[in-house]
Amino acid sequence: MKKFIFFSIFGSMVFAQTGLEIAKMVDERPTPKDMFSKTKMILTNSKGQSRTNVMISKSMDGNKKQIIWFLEPKDDKGVSFLKIEHSDQDDEMRMWLPAFKKIRRISSKRRGDSFMSSDLSYEDLSSRDLTKNEYSRIDDEMFDGKDCYVLKVTPKKEAKSSYSKHLSWIEKSSLMAVKEESYDKRGELKKNKAYTYKKLKEYFVMERIFVEDIQKNHTTEVTFLDLQVDTGIDYNLFHEKNLKRIPKM
Amino acid sequence: MTKIKSKFSQNPIRSWCIHQSLDYPWRTIIISLLVTLLVGSGVKFFLIDDDMMKILPKNLESRISWEAIQDEFGSTEVIFIAFGNEGESIFNPEAIATLWDLTEALETGKQIEELNSIATATRMDNLDGFMEVDDLQPERNLSQEEINDLKEYLDKNTVVKKRFVSEDDQYFLITVQPYNSEGLNLFRDELVAIADPILAGYEVHYGGQAYVTGTMPAMIRDDVQDLMKVGILIMVMVLLLNLRSVPGVAMVFMVIGLSLFAMIGAMGWIYQLTGSDRFLFTLANTSMPIILLTIANSDGVHVVSKFFRELRAKHEVRLALGSTMDSLLVPIFLTSVTTIAAFATMTLSPLEPLFGYGITIGIGIAWAWFLSSLMLPAVISLKKWNLKSKAITELSIFEKVINKLGKIVLTHPKYVFSAGAIIVLIGLFGISKVVVDVNMSKFFKPGTEIRDTMDFMDEKMAGTVDIRVRVMGDMKNPQTLSSMRTLQKKMEENEKVTTSFSIANVVEQMHRTVMDDNPKYETIPDNREKVNNLFTVYSMSGDLDDFSSIVDYDYKTGLITAFSKVMSTDEIFAYVEKMNGHVKTTMDRNLIVDFTGMIVILRDLVIMIVRSSAISIIFSLIVIGIIASIFFKRILWGMLAVIPLTSAVIINFGFMGYFGIELSHITAILSSIIIGVGVDFAVHYIAQFRRLSRIIDANKLSREVVDDVGYPIILDAASNMGFGALLLSAFVPIQYIGGLTVFAMVSTSIGTLTVLSALAELLKQRLIERNV
Repeated sequence: MKKFIFFSIFGSMVFAQTGLEIAKMVDERPTPKDMFSKTKMILTNSKGQSRTNVMISKSMDGNKKQIIWFLEPKDDKGVSFLKIEHSDQDDEMRMWLPAFKKIRRISSKRRGDSFMSSDLSYEDLSSRDLTKNEYSRIDDEMFDGKDCYVLKVTPKKEAKSSYSKHLSWIEKSSLMAVKEESYDKRGELKKNKAYTYKKLKEYFVMERIFVEDIQKNHTTEVTFLDLQVDTGIDYNLFHEKNLKRIPKM
Repeated sequence: MTKIKSKFSQNPIRSWCIHQSLDYPWRTIIISLLVTLLVGSGVKFFLIDDDMMKILPKNLESRISWEAIQDEFGSTEVIFIAFGNEGESIFNPEAIATLWDLTEALETGKQIEELNSIATATRMDNLDGFMEVDDLQPERNLSQEEINDLKEYLDKNTVVKKRFVSEDDQYFLITVQPYNSEGLNLFRDELVAIADPILAGYEVHYGGQAYVTGTMPAMIRDDVQDLMKVGILIMVMVLLLNLRSVPGVAMVFMVIGLSLFAMIGAMGWIYQLTGSDRFLFTLANTSMPIILLTIANSDGVHVVSKFFRELRAKHEVRLALGSTMDSLLVPIFLTSVTTIAAFATMTLSPLEPLFGYGITIGIGIAWAWFLSSLMLPAVISLKKWNLKSKAITELSIFEKVINKLGKIVLTHPKYVFSAGAIIVLIGLFGISKVVVDVNMSKFFKPGTEIRDTMDFMDEKMAGTVDIRVRVMGDMKNPQTLSSMRTLQKKMEENEKVTTSFSIANVVEQMHRTVMDDNPKYETIPDNREKVNNLFTVYSMSGDLDDFSSIVDYDYKTGLITAFSKVMSTDEIFAYVEKMNGHVKTTMDRNLIVDFTGMIVILRDLVIMIVRSSAISIIFSLIVIGIIASIFFKRILWGMLAVIPLTSAVIINFGFMGYFGIELSHITAILSSIIIGVGVDFAVHYIAQFRRLSRIIDANKLSREVVDDVGYPIILDAASNMGFGALLLSAFVPIQYIGGLTVFAMVSTSIGTLTVLSALAELLKQRLIERNV
């Protein structure tokens, strides 16, 4: 799960001055081979009502393969999700529905749809294709005591984005995005995103994301607990037969 | 000052007023204008609002439910856009591309929160074991084959189809939701500005409560303003023809204009200071300016015409004016007090805007009294009058008519009274035929854009009347969902209810999709876990936010939305009763089920209208009777003062029954017009009767009174015939207001000069004896 989101941002080192060059280096940043975490996602609506989801996530190949087992809420316990991304065809997604005792393949082509009713859409969770976006660098800024590059990312038409632009603050030392503002098609601020990281082995990995949908007055806080990287996850794990059994932590 | 006092009045207040107007005219005029300007400056805070919900009391059950629904599920006041071409299938690439363009353009609207169309909707398919949630229209340009596939999906899912396509497949329907239910005119304007250019070449229909609400204030304002110009022109002509003096007519209009300005300003100030929605100018307030116009006109006409009569007799402006004020200050004050009291009873009305109506028009009436009693005489005193002009020397047309009428009435008082009584009796029988109906479609004449759209939506689409049912219970519990489906089926048994949808429909559809698209499984699953699994699978494949308009965040409240073709108020009553009966007898008692939506709100409105009218009429008559009894120091006078009113009210409602004019929240206000205007005539008559009874022989008394007050009464009534112009309005209630105002003028003026004068003539010995 963590990696799943991790890729939505950027991923590499930045030395060049143009927006595109910075984006390229962020994109080329080294990532773990596999990742394991217990993920807690708290959704809060405008009335202060909250929903909490807890799940176990395992992923590999830069998040191209991911399996999630739901632990909470109680209603969802036992439901699990497998995703395998393909570069030349639609992503393969399967779910185990314990009440029906059936595995069902699912598909979503709507990039703007929310992921699990959170404020993160599939588009937010996907890596940005450098060729489908325009990157321009604007004045550097300090954010939360960190010296940051600020990039303006404008999706091209072929990106089929639900946004008109993003402003991203990228910490110069780690080349990790620490803040992002996303604007809707009307040009109005839609989401504020804030990211915090920690260093595991030689990687910077995300440990918390906080997203606020300004227009809906809804927030999502995702926290990655028990983070482990490069644990040697077996490739065969990403098979539908493994959906039915929740792994022990 | 002493001279004035001794000549005209021993009453200190009256003599002070005369002194102020005649001895300090400029001071009186400047103070009057300054106060008018101060009060009238509130016009900048004056706000027109046509939100029907603001008419209703805040503690009304259906309003509470409705507001809870708005709070939970967003505004329910949507605008429908239907476009297509008669005789052509809408399922073609051009129309699909236009729908896409329109949807994209509307999504950028500042007032628009959400819209539903084929271009925004999702489809759930089971493809080779895949449960796929995808856009119903994935891109702008679709091939005919893809469009056929889309059509096939809609034909299979009729509940979905009814929301987006006309029954004959010739029109697409888009439902647009505003951010909130305020400023619907801005929402409507933005939407039309975006849609019209894109839909050029198509037949376009806009509809829905939000469209009507957003369109109506401006339409009514423009319509009434245009027609009022015609009405005022007629009024000017009638006044000029009879008063035969341009300055005289201008002075009457000065009183009208300034009191209207002060009333509108006062309404603005009160709204600004209190923030109360009761002081918004709603559809129910439309008659306010008209009523004040008639009352201010009445005050002004009495003063000017009396002045001319006195000038004819006394040949000296100061003397004539002093005498006019001496005889009219009391009756004008009394007519104002009784009219204010009559309108004050509106504050008891359960309808919200009528509270503000009663208060604000009271201020306007009070100011019209002040202006006609002090400022108007001051202005008259400054004018150099030509004593040889026809206006002064010759009788006017109406004065001649009154002479003849007076002769007939007072020669045969018993016959006149009997004839009046028979007409009232006929009216009394007609009251039972009055139909209460607040059907919005009947507000517009056939042929008007809104009426045509409503008819179109009824004929081709699912209708524009929405029924909302809020169900509170566990929305993942199969029993709850099954109960909702049963209720929906019951609701759809009515032939006018075309469709309904709720989260239960979605669960059924998801169930079928997950079960390999087997129609056998288009049912509510048998346990909660399965229902929950369906939602979870949807959350991964689609977006649970898709359901935000039908189920709340915690899955504890669901919303059933049904659309109906226009129903009459009787049908609404029967329908809601039947549905409530079904809920009580068949649904789980742990579920809380509330019916609301425009259809139910209209039902509640009807109940309130009847109650409001009854309260207003009864209290007005009692209050006027009491005030008249106190001022004229006899209960008999109090009773006589309300007789013409009561007769006119009975005849008015009776004739509404005979002519099929429905009692609605607009026409109900007419009883107030009758009372407000009618009481003036009666009070003037009684005041002059009492005054002249002290100085004139009993045999000539009634004749003198009719001569004295008959002319201004008839002139006042005739000048208000200009409101007949409102009969040309595109809005049926405005037509009724026009027609019934004319009717009220005729019935109350004639009633006063026939029934009241005949009664006074019959009872004159008793009435005179006590006065002497």
